[in-house]
Amino acid sequence: MRAAPRTPLVLAVLLLAYVAVPLAFGGQDYVMSLIIAALTIGGIAVAWALLGNLGGLVSFGHAAFFGVGAYVSALLTLDAGWPVLPAMLAGGLGAAVASVATLPALRLRGPYFALAILAYAHIFKILAVEFESVTGGAGGLLSIPGFPTVLGLELGSKVGAYCLILTIVLAWMAVYAAIRGSTWGLALRAMHDSELATRVVGVPSTHLKALMLLVSAFMTGVIGAFNAHQISFLDPDYAFSGEWTVLPIAAAIFGGYRTVWGPVIGALAVYLVDQLVFKELMPSGHQLIFGLLLGAMILWSPQGLLPLISRLGLRSGEGGDKEGKPGARA
Amino acid sequence: MRQSRFIKGLAAKSLIAGIAGLGAVALAGTAAAEDFALGSHVPLTGKLARVGTGMHEGIAVAVALANERYAGRHSFSVETIDDETSPAKAVAAVEKLAADEVVAFTGGYGSNIIGPASEAAAKADKVYITSGGVAPGLTERGMTGFFRINNSAGYGKAMVGLFDEMGVEKVAILFSNKEATSGMAKYVEKHLEEAGVEVTMHEFDGSTTDFKPIMNNVKLRDRPDAVAMIGYENDYVGILRAGTVLKPDVKAMVGVWSLATSQMNEEFHDLVQNVYGTSLLPYPVEFQGEEAQAFAAKYEELHGQKPDYLGQFGYVQTTLLVDAIVRAFEDDQKIEAGEIAEELRAVEADTLIGDVVFDEKGDNPSFSHRMGQHRGDRVEIVWPKKAQTAEMNFPAVPW
Repeated sequence: MRAAPRTPLVLAVLLLAYVAVPLAFGGQDYVMSLIIAALTIGGIAVAWALLGNLGGLVSFGHAAFFGVGAYVSALLTLDAGWPVLPAMLAGGLGAAVASVATLPALRLRGPYFALAILAYAHIFKILAVEFESVTGGAGGLLSIPGFPTVLGLELGSKVGAYCLILTIVLAWMAVYAAIRGSTWGLALRAMHDSELATRVVGVPSTHLKALMLLVSAFMTGVIGAFNAHQISFLDPDYAFSGEWTVLPIAAAIFGGYRTVWGPVIGALAVYLVDQLVFKELMPSGHQLIFGLLLGAMILWSPQGLLPLISRLGLRSGEGGDKEGKPGARA
Repeated sequence: MRQSRFIKGLAAKSLIAGIAGLGAVALAGTAAAEDFALGSHVPLTGKLARVGTGMHEGIAVAVALANERYAGRHSFSVETIDDETSPAKAVAAVEKLAADEVVAFTGGYGSNIIGPASEAAAKADKVYITSGGVAPGLTERGMTGFFRINNSAGYGKAMVGLFDEMGVEKVAILFSNKEATSGMAKYVEKHLEEAGVEVTMHEFDGSTTDFKPIMNNVKLRDRPDAVAMIGYENDYVGILRAGTVLKPDVKAMVGVWSLATSQMNEEFHDLVQNVYGTSLLPYPVEFQGEEAQAFAAKYEELHGQKPDYLGQFGYVQTTLLVDAIVRAFEDDQKIEAGEIAEELRAVEADTLIGDVVFDEKGDNPSFSHRMGQHRGDRVEIVWPKKAQTAEMNFPAVPW
């Protein structure tokens, strides 16, 4: 019932995303590349926000899941001859399995968990370097197979790759929204206020957090796999780069990580404005402007862009005013 | 008023068109003038910014000199995008430049960036020429439009040749675990062992800053005659500092790229004394020959400093590309698919970096580097003998 008023807005966004964007920019490979890159970051940002908002865990190590997903998918297609799309799902599963290794870190909280998972990311990178016979070592993998043609849509083209990553990101947003709207989501959010109190009433908090970690890792792994097939290249420095952690966090916080749309809107705003506007104004060192903008956003609207827009009266249908009060615990 | 402006504008346009027409008629006897835009992506920010900037400056010199060389016939420009040392941004840059209809690409630094970027160029059916990636895998991809003027074998030949001339019997190789450095370390190991030299290998991670544990192993366990350092600037500084502290009893410290440079001599003067590294020219630079002197003069004019080896590589790759473009165009006043690549494959040039001849993979098997040695404020070329500016100071180390 609650969703009914939002339906026209959602339909308009879908129409804009699937029809208007390809029509407007389909002939401009560069702009499409940037939008694809922004959605890639947006997809990780959604996965990160799911863990942060629902699991209550601030991760500095999502690059680990991104890298594992990318390597699993790339190796399955290169060495085992798997088709790309099933390999991408296997990449997500690989990342979820890898996240099992990080489960002991769930005993930790706050900065301790963040640092522990950062260490895991570094360990996975070292493993990718050392297992040279499997991963190609520091040299990485070149000429990774690209996307196939499905139902007449050439996924290897810019428009095809855009539609694929858009579908993945929307699917992850739907998963995020579904979990958040379920009774488990209610329990998870209640854990923010008092984990002890929720445990007293019978909420299996550790199991729920572990489940969120697995789901978040799977999502990130699929995005990593997408990226590997999109740019046809992988090496440990790139696959496990801190960029895959820092940018999604910045995007999620910029857009509003306690909302479903916020991380994606944040990624699109942050990446596209930086690359299309700031880079044109300041070819070298344009990241400085972005840094200032992010700092200003955190100071003026700690909840992020979407709640700010809501407050300004431009309702986005997110109910951001109910969530993510300044200084709220993650 | 508006009509008057329109008439004036029309008259002006007619006059310009008339002059242009006369110009075209005047040139019709030779070849139609054409503007050629080259595309370039280089890391101007990020961890490869210094080397990317060096190549970028060399490319700018090549374009400026090409405009002088072909003045009245053709003009050249280069559209450059900073790839921020990121493979994904390099790919996006190539796609943007291809959409802007550049004729071909020159640039790229780092094998892991050149790999995907050159594949994006191949998808756009554009030639890609570089000197920034020496990983062997780059020329094993069956790409017909990919060319590079240098390779790890060329650096390896120089290092092995120097060790051969020194007559060392045992060498410890310290190498970074990157693809290019690992590949070259294996090349040097193989060729030294074939020459009967005993070799010990010490791999280190690219983020290593404290080399004392490795150097201690070298000093106490390996006891080599010489140490080979295969890494990058920060690695050399770390290794040499560890050597200065532990003072292993070796006769020579030998590195490869980014070591026998004027910047290293100025910034780490005492640390690099008597250390060897690859270098095409001595420092201060003594250019001989018309082309080399024109290059040096234009470099100083554009950038206010003396050129280094990065600038030379950027200049040579771009000059070869420009000349190939002109040859491809001037035979029939148009450039057809694959024509620039064909022209590059036909190149046999004596350039500022030595002979350039491309094989079917786009590699330059003729490439061989020279070895320089830091001596006071100078970098002397000590190998090969035919290019020597001074005899090598051997045995000698910084400590």
